[in-house]
Amino acid sequence: MVRHKITTRDGLAAAGIGLRSAHVAEIMETRPAIGFLEVHAENYMTDSPAIGGLEKLRRDYAISIHGVGLSLGTAGALDRQHLSCLSTLVDRVDPDLVSEHLSWSALPGIYLNDLLPLPYTEESLEIVSAHIDEAQAALGRRLLIENPSAYLRFRHSTIAEGEFLAELVRRTGCGILCDVNNLYVNADNFGFDPWAYLAALPARAVGEIHLAGHHRADVDGRTILIDDHGSAVSKPVWDLYAHALHRFGPKPTLIEWDSRLPALGVLLGEARYADRISAMTVAERRARAFA
Amino acid sequence: MPSLEELQRDICDVICGGDEAHLPDLVSGDGMDPRARLRIYRNHAIITLTDALKATYPVICRLVSDSFFAYAAHEFLRGHMPARPNLTDYGGEFPDFLAEFPPCRDLSYLADVARLEWSINEALHAAGIPAIARTEFSGISAADAPRLVLALHPSVRFLKSRWPIERIWRANQADGDPDLAIDLDSGEVRLQIHRRGDKVALKSLTDCEWAFLRALARGETLADAADVALRTDLLFDLTVTLGTLLEEGGVVGFRLKED
Repeated sequence: MVRHKITTRDGLAAAGIGLRSAHVAEIMETRPAIGFLEVHAENYMTDSPAIGGLEKLRRDYAISIHGVGLSLGTAGALDRQHLSCLSTLVDRVDPDLVSEHLSWSALPGIYLNDLLPLPYTEESLEIVSAHIDEAQAALGRRLLIENPSAYLRFRHSTIAEGEFLAELVRRTGCGILCDVNNLYVNADNFGFDPWAYLAALPARAVGEIHLAGHHRADVDGRTILIDDHGSAVSKPVWDLYAHALHRFGPKPTLIEWDSRLPALGVLLGEARYADRISAMTVAERRARAFA
Repeated sequence: MPSLEELQRDICDVICGGDEAHLPDLVSGDGMDPRARLRIYRNHAIITLTDALKATYPVICRLVSDSFFAYAAHEFLRGHMPARPNLTDYGGEFPDFLAEFPPCRDLSYLADVARLEWSINEALHAAGIPAIARTEFSGISAADAPRLVLALHPSVRFLKSRWPIERIWRANQADGDPDLAIDLDSGEVRLQIHRRGDKVALKSLTDCEWAFLRALARGETLADAADVALRTDLLFDLTVTLGTLLEEGGVVGFRLKED
């Protein structure tokens, strides 16, 4: 069997899905044609049978390792033990992509199990840059850094998030994982222009895109969008995705759906839809180039 | 302005249930009370960590109801946030917490059922080392056999309880009968928990099997372990117990103890 690649025969980036334990057996059995499988690094850090399943799938599929626990934004030292576990996993699986978040999750001895927002200041920029440098050196490869969803902003932030990411790229050589749903959710919750945000990102540094569902919740008498990965990608997020592809060109795109997990076929349908949008924007970009 | 370190310490306190103090001044309201924004993060931690505990302790959840479990988890979280990002290691203190939790005082078996679920969780995530077969002992002479020290599979756990925890656990599996009448005074149980492939198997042990296997797990020689077992029950059958352990894939290595 030919190994699936993130890039299809015609050079387009093909969409992938998150690998969830409930779907592993069906994927092993049916070997659906998808661009790649993405796993959460922290689910494979013990030497349990799950890693064996991933190694088997790795023979046929491109793999993306997505970390949620490195806490690049913690003010103190990086958790070296965690970095070493991530490094062992990356060496073992040899993934096509490795990503983490522009956020913090831990203080020494306490893990908060969330991707918490940072104030975007010169101090944060120095801390996150130093941690990305350290992580990239330990992993021996480029990290993609994801823009998080956020429900609060700090008054003392002085740098816009898009510019903060662009500066991290300049300082560390990292790439960007542009989560279009997170961007949409934040733009709606805080009332900023997501198009201007995309314009601030260096297109060539974007190495992956995430798409997911969100829901509306009433908090303190106001409706806010919550990024819960629990439903289909919404129409405005697809629209913003198409716009992002016009700006970045086709990119490996992940359908993230990990709460209220649907049947595998539903995830594959979302991935195929992403592929269609990607093909359409490529055609439009070409048409524009020759116009 | 606070340093990033100070800010993170304060946010951490709020997420762990502490006071917001001066944090609201640092958070932009964007049309809402900044404290409501902080509460979104506090609630997220409670919900996701309760879900993580529920995934490890499904039988406890079924025994006490979803709403009581959420209450117990909420109280547990106050003093037991995860220490590390790997949540498969999270929640090992929950059984001891339940044992001391006043609202559970009448459910005396609950903590031991939780200890069983924790052992199952540990077995599920233990390293996958291949077991050794009988034939690998062919080079050991009969004279050396008493000095054998066996390495048990990393997933093997032993658990003793004065309650029928295995029957309670089985009755509360998807294919079990939750209305089954279980006699709580049916006597002490001794269990072996062990992962085979990707499934965890539970097995009830006799007193002498328990004594023998626990001695092996402590690193005692075959002769010493058999001696302990025989003192427990004169009819202890070494060949059968050792053979079963090997059949079950419970041994991953051996060495000869030096005199």
